[in-house]
Amino acid sequence: MASPSLTHEFQYASASHQAQTAIAGMWLFLATEVLLFGGLILAWIYSRHFNPVGFDAGGRQTALWIGTVNTVLLITSSFAYGLGAAFLRIGNVRGLIRCLALALLLAAAFLVLKFGLEYRDDFAKHLFPTDLPFGVSGAAANGARLFFIFYFIGTGLHGVHMLVGVGLVLWIIRRARRGHFSPSYTTPVEVVGLYWSFVDIVWLTLYPLIYLVGRN
Amino acid sequence: MSPQRQQRTLPPETGRLVRLWLALLLLGGIEFGLSFLPLGHRARPLVILPAIPMIVAVAVGFMNVTKGPAIVRVFAVAALFWLLILLGLGSLDALTRIDYAVTGLH
Repeated sequence: MASPSLTHEFQYASASHQAQTAIAGMWLFLATEVLLFGGLILAWIYSRHFNPVGFDAGGRQTALWIGTVNTVLLITSSFAYGLGAAFLRIGNVRGLIRCLALALLLAAAFLVLKFGLEYRDDFAKHLFPTDLPFGVSGAAANGARLFFIFYFIGTGLHGVHMLVGVGLVLWIIRRARRGHFSPSYTTPVEVVGLYWSFVDIVWLTLYPLIYLVGRN
Repeated sequence: MSPQRQQRTLPPETGRLVRLWLALLLLGGIEFGLSFLPLGHRARPLVILPAIPMIVAVAVGFMNVTKGPAIVRVFAVAALFWLLILLGLGSLDALTRIDYAVTGLH
């Protein structure tokens, strides 16, 4: 079987052309994702503008330490993935696998903290927007409900993206263990890396909107 | 290079990636610290500002937006452009609306 780095599908002029098309395709997909999350950010701007007190009250109910630790976990996870891709470029497939395993471990820690611990506490504190009685009372209650609608949709959507990313990284690890990658064939690793870092960018946007803006 | 030596060698990009990682943690720390400043309700969204260089750093440092084919930069700029249109036009009404008090009732 010919090396994947040398072969290409008939519609491409060369293997390099095919690789560049794959990378451009992922960027185009990410551009549509920017607009998906852009709608969510617009909802935050609009809702917070008319309910600043309620949004701040909602923000103070969130677990700052979990949000902050999760930010560090995701930044480090992107770093681990980037280092893994760099290992592949010098021909060290074992280094790639180890770094990707670390990235997965960090992502798993993020998901456990977010959905295993933080969501559980949120439900216990009656912060789900339909809860009666709701966890925030008084004049700020309605605004805080709006905040938690944003919170659950934003973090839920991000969590779904993370789960997809975990599946993709597992797929890359499986292919790497089977010897599918080499310094001259890194395209799938790079394409999944783009998605992995984009999920990081989404969190870097959500983190201040949810945990920091209403804190003080 | 022998396979054993190769296993021990760090990639040449390691230093750059470590510096990027540390810069992101530093900016995250600044953002975290800013959130405790006593700002008014209207000024608090300024806390988000350090997230902008963080996002740029991830896009440039981890996603290599400046190094890929030119079409990648076209897609990235188009995404930013449409995001600005979405956020700008979408929030224009809310941010510029003047709410007048209702008078003359009873």
